Amino acid sequence: MYGVFLVAGLALGAIYALSGVGLVVLYRSTGVLNIAYGAIGAMGAMLAWQLEQMQYPEPVAWVAALLAATLLSLAYGRLVAPYLSYREPVVKAVATLGFALMILGTANYFWVEAPRRLYLFTDAMGFEVLDVRITGTRALVLIATLATTFGIAIFLKHTRIGLLMQALANKRELSSVLGVPVIRIETYAWLISGVLAGFTGLMFGDLVRPNPGALTFLVIPAIAAAIVGRLESLPMTLAGGLIIGVVESMSTLIKPIAPYRSIAPFVVAAILLLWLQRNRKLTFSGHD
Amino acid sequence: MMTYTRFVGPAVACLALTLSGTAFAQQKLYGLNTGKAASGQPILVGSVVGKTGPDDFSAGALAAKAYFDCVNSNGGINGRPIQFLIEDDQWKPEVAGQVASKLVKDRGVVALVGNGSFVEMTVNAKLYEQENVAVVASACAVRECFEAKNIASTNQGPVPSNIAAVQWAIEKLGTKKVACIGLNIPSNGVWSCNLTNEWLKEKGLSGVSVLMNPGAPDANSALLEAVASGADTFLMSLPAGLAQAFLKAGQDQNLRDKYKWVAPTPLYKQGIPESIGAYWGDKVHVAIELTKWDGAGPDGKRWLAVMDKYGAKSDPRDTFSQAGFVSANIFVDALLKMDPKKIDRANVTKALKAVKNYRTDLLCGPWYFGDADFHQPNHASMIVTITKTGFKSETGCFDPSGKYFDKIRAMEKAQKLTGS
Amino acid sequence: MLLSVAALILIVPSLLDALYLRVFISSVIFTIAATGTAVLYARLGLVSLAQVALVGVGGWVTLRMWHATGLPFEVNMLAGAIISGVVGMLIGLPALRMRGLFLALITLMGAAGFQILVTGTQFPNGGDGVLGIAVTSIFMPRPLLGESDEAMLRYVCVVAVLCFLLVEFNRRTRPGRAWALIRKSEACAMASGVNVAFYKAWGFALAGFIAGIAGALLAGTLGVLDATTFPASESILLFALTVVGGAYHWLGLVLTGLLFRAAPAVLNDIGVNGHLAYVIFGAGLLHALITAPTGIAGQILDGLTQLAKRRAGR
Repeated sequence: MYGVFLVAGLALGAIYALSGVGLVVLYRSTGVLNIAYGAIGAMGAMLAWQLEQMQYPEPVAWVAALLAATLLSLAYGRLVAPYLSYREPVVKAVATLGFALMILGTANYFWVEAPRRLYLFTDAMGFEVLDVRITGTRALVLIATLATTFGIAIFLKHTRIGLLMQALANKRELSSVLGVPVIRIETYAWLISGVLAGFTGLMFGDLVRPNPGALTFLVIPAIAAAIVGRLESLPMTLAGGLIIGVVESMSTLIKPIAPYRSIAPFVVAAILLLWLQRNRKLTFSGHD
Repeated sequence: MMTYTRFVGPAVACLALTLSGTAFAQQKLYGLNTGKAASGQPILVGSVVGKTGPDDFSAGALAAKAYFDCVNSNGGINGRPIQFLIEDDQWKPEVAGQVASKLVKDRGVVALVGNGSFVEMTVNAKLYEQENVAVVASACAVRECFEAKNIASTNQGPVPSNIAAVQWAIEKLGTKKVACIGLNIPSNGVWSCNLTNEWLKEKGLSGVSVLMNPGAPDANSALLEAVASGADTFLMSLPAGLAQAFLKAGQDQNLRDKYKWVAPTPLYKQGIPESIGAYWGDKVHVAIELTKWDGAGPDGKRWLAVMDKYGAKSDPRDTFSQAGFVSANIFVDALLKMDPKKIDRANVTKALKAVKNYRTDLLCGPWYFGDADFHQPNHASMIVTITKTGFKSETGCFDPSGKYFDKIRAMEKAQKLTGS
Repeated sequence: MLLSVAALILIVPSLLDALYLRVFISSVIFTIAATGTAVLYARLGLVSLAQVALVGVGGWVTLRMWHATGLPFEVNMLAGAIISGVVGMLIGLPALRMRGLFLALITLMGAAGFQILVTGTQFPNGGDGVLGIAVTSIFMPRPLLGESDEAMLRYVCVVAVLCFLLVEFNRRTRPGRAWALIRKSEACAMASGVNVAFYKAWGFALAGFIAGIAGALLAGTLGVLDATTFPASESILLFALTVVGGAYHWLGLVLTGLLFRAAPAVLNDIGVNGHLAYVIFGAGLLHALITAPTGIAGQILDGLTQLAKRRAGR
């Protein structure tokens, strides 16, 4: 029986982790913690659902979801983010909240909160491991998460753009003085993050429910996973997401805490944040 | 003893219009069915429903609206049309209070018909009593709806429906331990699952509650909790959309044959068998609160005909739609007996509260409003099984056993509400 | 000034119909809550995303107190506010070592955690035990001075004015001076002998206290509370609207309350999907952050000053 809980936890954790990775990649190179990440994914997932309802073939729905999310992410990155590029990180984060509200309002206008189901071809696939059935979607989420995390890590280390992204992450002004094409590199970051947002939105829409509100605020546990990685480390974010998912799922088995199990991401993240800050005494503006 | 005489004026007119050319058209009709639209001073009627939120509970009000439209284009209430105002409480208590104030205080509706909500009755029961406005609801889901002076519903609410499903599962499926999956709303999921568990205890069996967060319901997570509870039967005491999500989660884990799956009435809805898929064929059993919609009764046919002619195509055809239709019929029949000049809130409330022994083939038993603190006029159910293509009857109407129902039956007898 | 406010409070409620009485009660209550957010944002430059959760804490304590003791509303309100202040301070404790983004995230984690806790426990409604959950809700009565909706609107307005005055008092006395220094530079503040940790914590306690008052009023208006009112998303939205309305002036906070509760209700009333308001809120937030840091109120007030200057110049 434990297997069921482990699998469910890993699938959920993988979504958290993948969202977290998307957040971290962007934050590292642009300094923007994108609170609109969930909303961007939501828009993609809702479009996919709509297209499915209109009897379009499934690949069209997939492409539309990923494309819509990427475009939204790029639009913000190119059109709005530059106005705020020299502000404090918290202001940049709060600004993305404005973008999130705009997307959420639009999505809620077209798709009021209602019970829906999103079907993906992977739902019909599946295999049994140790008496536990694993659907194709769950397997896909897990594999995609692992592949993406390591893929991006390699990309950052071994390609020119990746290295430039790393440079931006460390010192933005210095990099631009040294001739790093800041805008172009940042655009890559918004692009990668947008694709990941679209994919996680689609997966979450399938595994939980395709509703704009639910998908938009999925960003909160995803931020928790990103916090575990201190908004820097991809492997830590991956581990954080997976651990949070498994802890949350396994807590189901412990009777008194079962109803409160979805608090897991926040407890883990809060404890970690406090631990990381334990030696600081004073704070100065501009530093986080 | 006074029994209720049915007025069939606009009712039959609506039928005759929709099925013109059939035998019904030749029925003797009363004066009002001129086929002319009513043009007098409108009678304001309201409805509060939970439309936007975890699930859409507006089917009852939509059916009532279809029926009122039909009545209006056939002479109305002795010449006066019904103006029907539907408000969405968005599943938010604050909004529920606001929209009810708007209807009852600002617009001055004479009554509310077809209400269906998970939050509205809890917040507003007191307001309705203070303002002396009667509510003939059709999709009550919370305790206050059945224990308020001025609210009576044509649906059963989760308690009788849950218990009917469980009673049948014990007899026919050999259920020993039930996990009751509900929403974590004190007056809904907590209440109905608790009473179901108590009922099970009375029978020497056991039940546990599995409660979902209504703000962010996660079916997978609830399924895991239900599995962990060690129950052999899952009772999905949920609105249709969430119950479907729960079944999808069960299918993902391939748990169909490891557990027994039963549900109260919300799953009795057109499109459900196709939507949950062939995987679940003959495995899900539903206790339905009103009679089957393909029943042969005249009111059942009339409901479908009115929905086809006056309702939107997207309006659901389900138990709550039937219940809304019955509520609207009760209301119209009561008003037709009144002097059209004296239709005000006080008189309408009095007339509605006087309704007893109202019989229709859409309900298993007779309906009454009554002047009690407790209203559970509808408590007998039928069981259907969801097949690959539709619904199959398992039982006729039956009244569940147990103390909870004995109390209601005794009260009905003492107050002579059912005519027997 | 105070006189005209008093006149408004006296007259306006009697002109409103039942729907808008309810809507304005909610709006004023969230104006009070936003006052707390604004203390942190405008005075200390801190972003707190847990304010609506703290409103929930205040409401919870108020209901629990009333069901346990039956004391008058005002006593329970004070208890709710104090406990909520303490909780606010606990959430703010990390602020002693953090600021900016990570602090905002800590408060967001707190708000999300509260949402899950309170969804699990629900709000006390007359039952036994610590959690006090009964199957049939017993409603907490309205405060004696606010039994009708009209009186209740006056009541919440008066409390709102008192909260504004409390904040203003803090701003003009020692805490306000300390906050101003801390905002400039913590090192400077410390060098001038300001107890940085204490006054930061004081800011959080004050914000929490005010949130608690708002929670008590919400409980007092409705008689019961529901967990769906206090999700983390509402905390985020309230913060966003505080910036949009304008955190630096009481007029901005009144606007915040109206945007938060009255705008969706008005749209709903005229049959427009209330979600469209979010699009405007979002655009407003971006606009405020990029070009208008003092929010709508700031722009209105600037406009008025300009106008006055032009007149004087003529």
